[in-house]
Amino acid sequence: MVKKAHFVTGKGGVGKSLVAALLARLYSLKTQQILLTELAEISFYKDYLNLNEISYTPTPWMPGVDVSQWSGEDCLKEYALHLLKVKKLYELFFENPVTRSLVDVAPGLSELAIMGKVTSSPRRHGPAMDYDQLVIDAFATGHFLALLGSPRAMAETIKFGPMGEQSRSIDKLIRDPQYTHIHIVTLAEELPITETLELCQSLKKDFAITPTIYLNKLLQLSAKDVSELSAKAQDILLSEIEAEENAKKILKKNKLHFIELPLVTSLSTPEILEALIAQLSHHSHSPEPL
Amino acid sequence: MIQIGKDTKTLICIGTGGVGKTTMAASIGVGLALTGKKILVLTIDPSKRLAQALGLKPDGDLHMVTLPLAAGENTSGELWSCVIDHKKAFEHFIREGARGIASDEKVNQLLQNKLYQQLSGKLSGSQDFTSLITLYRYVISNQFDFVILDTPPAQHTWSFLQAPEKIAHLFNDGITSWFREDAQSSSLFKKILNAGTAQVLKALELLTGSEFIRELSAFFLAIQKWQKPLENYVMNCHRLLISQQTEFVLVTGLDPSRLKEAEKLSNEIRTQGYRLTSVIINRVPEWLISVDFKKVNANKNLRLNQIIQYYQSLENELQKRIHSFSSRQNVYKCHEFSQTTEHVQQLKENFKSIQRL
Repeated sequence: MVKKAHFVTGKGGVGKSLVAALLARLYSLKTQQILLTELAEISFYKDYLNLNEISYTPTPWMPGVDVSQWSGEDCLKEYALHLLKVKKLYELFFENPVTRSLVDVAPGLSELAIMGKVTSSPRRHGPAMDYDQLVIDAFATGHFLALLGSPRAMAETIKFGPMGEQSRSIDKLIRDPQYTHIHIVTLAEELPITETLELCQSLKKDFAITPTIYLNKLLQLSAKDVSELSAKAQDILLSEIEAEENAKKILKKNKLHFIELPLVTSLSTPEILEALIAQLSHHSHSPEPL
Repeated sequence: MIQIGKDTKTLICIGTGGVGKTTMAASIGVGLALTGKKILVLTIDPSKRLAQALGLKPDGDLHMVTLPLAAGENTSGELWSCVIDHKKAFEHFIREGARGIASDEKVNQLLQNKLYQQLSGKLSGSQDFTSLITLYRYVISNQFDFVILDTPPAQHTWSFLQAPEKIAHLFNDGITSWFREDAQSSSLFKKILNAGTAQVLKALELLTGSEFIRELSAFFLAIQKWQKPLENYVMNCHRLLISQQTEFVLVTGLDPSRLKEAEKLSNEIRTQGYRLTSVIINRVPEWLISVDFKKVNANKNLRLNQIIQYYQSLENELQKRIHSFSSRQNVYKCHEFSQTTEHVQQLKENFKSIQRL
């Protein structure tokens, strides 16, 4: 049974997918079975992790880690089949073109279906999942909050019937700190840092969740290191060094715990992952106590 | 300098997150305004620094930007900017469609429908659409020579391009016909003639509960009267995307996974019939040229060495990959600038540094 669900979010382009893959790999090293799943419409992991195929059905990636890709429609189909039971009715429902477009446009239905799938194992709803933990390479900040808030929003709109009931039980698990863990990836730049602070506030206020923050792609240089470079190079690198110091200061000022991830100077994904795993394993505080 | 078609009136900046799309859209705006054109830049979520540089206010209104003129430089051009307010934009769209057809009371009824509220604000999905309808609104107003749109910070651009289609489904005859029965009737679904449809609705009710169906039917009943004008509006938005006067500019970054994604995106966009004319590789570390490698090597600073070599390998990788972009697109690079100096002057420099590869 799934005991924990880890969501990885952050502004677009900060390295969410890398950190999600990294966490999946780290947890699997502690002899856990992990499902890494991406919510993107077009798979990122297929090329990034050099996989032959990626779909709703998990594919093995590394020992202890399988990878899959979830769309709202896939999740909804599985749920419908589970609930309707009668295959014929289900087919009639999903093969009807009008239903398909309804699923497309009904606001929040797709997000709700994904959250239903994320929490299906502890709610004992739907097919069994043979994993200990889920790592979800989730949407970017704004859409992520909509995803997380979809069960509550639906429960408020639809108070009665199976949908209202389901939505409430999903929402309860989102608020369970034993089950739901949120990881925010950020860069030491103004916009991602601002988004991180705002997201932390929303998570605290609306869900009482304290996320783990990863400050990614740090140069980890000092002003002295670059002092012998040309003026032009110094100008760029010094502004990045300053931005890194600033970002740390802001996070500390807001009493947010964060983990520093260095820029790994390699172009190969496996090498980058290996380097970061080595770094985090030596770290006194592992990202998430298991 | 970036090449733009003579007849082009709309530029759409696309690309994955974190590549500097918004700054690029603004830079092109400044650059084109300085050539004497009247430009509007529509942005979604500008950084504080960019907002300050352009005097942007998140109110959904148009604001004029003071252009950075050198001493003796003159221009008849104008730069306007607007941060899209999604809620306002969606409401504008609904009211526009309802004009002359539905009473204010009917419109307000729709605006109060819970599903509408979720659709327009609380939940996802409409940011793509509202950007598009705002773009359309200002393009057809003919107030500007160019309208430049910075697309939503989605991981992929597909959802933006699919927005008209998805929303068109909403006004699709099929769905509305389910609910088009007499609203007063207490047994709404009994009247539905098609037995198959009745079963589908039954399944839907089983899945979601009758309250959801009720909200849904209220929503579709509310929009049925002005379904046609809204559908036309959506169609026109879609036409704008594929128009010969619209160009797509793909902005990307230097690292391999970004370049690969940009490659995929550019192929997909072209096969779907959109006019992708330019690819800009942003934040190319031009400063590397000025680095004295012998000196760096002699310095024995391992970390600095690694980082400089890393940037160098990114550049090499770019040279290898550049041919994978189609010859139908112009590929440009734009220099990396220090993060601390984002003002209008900087945007002007940015535009000037765009260089064909």
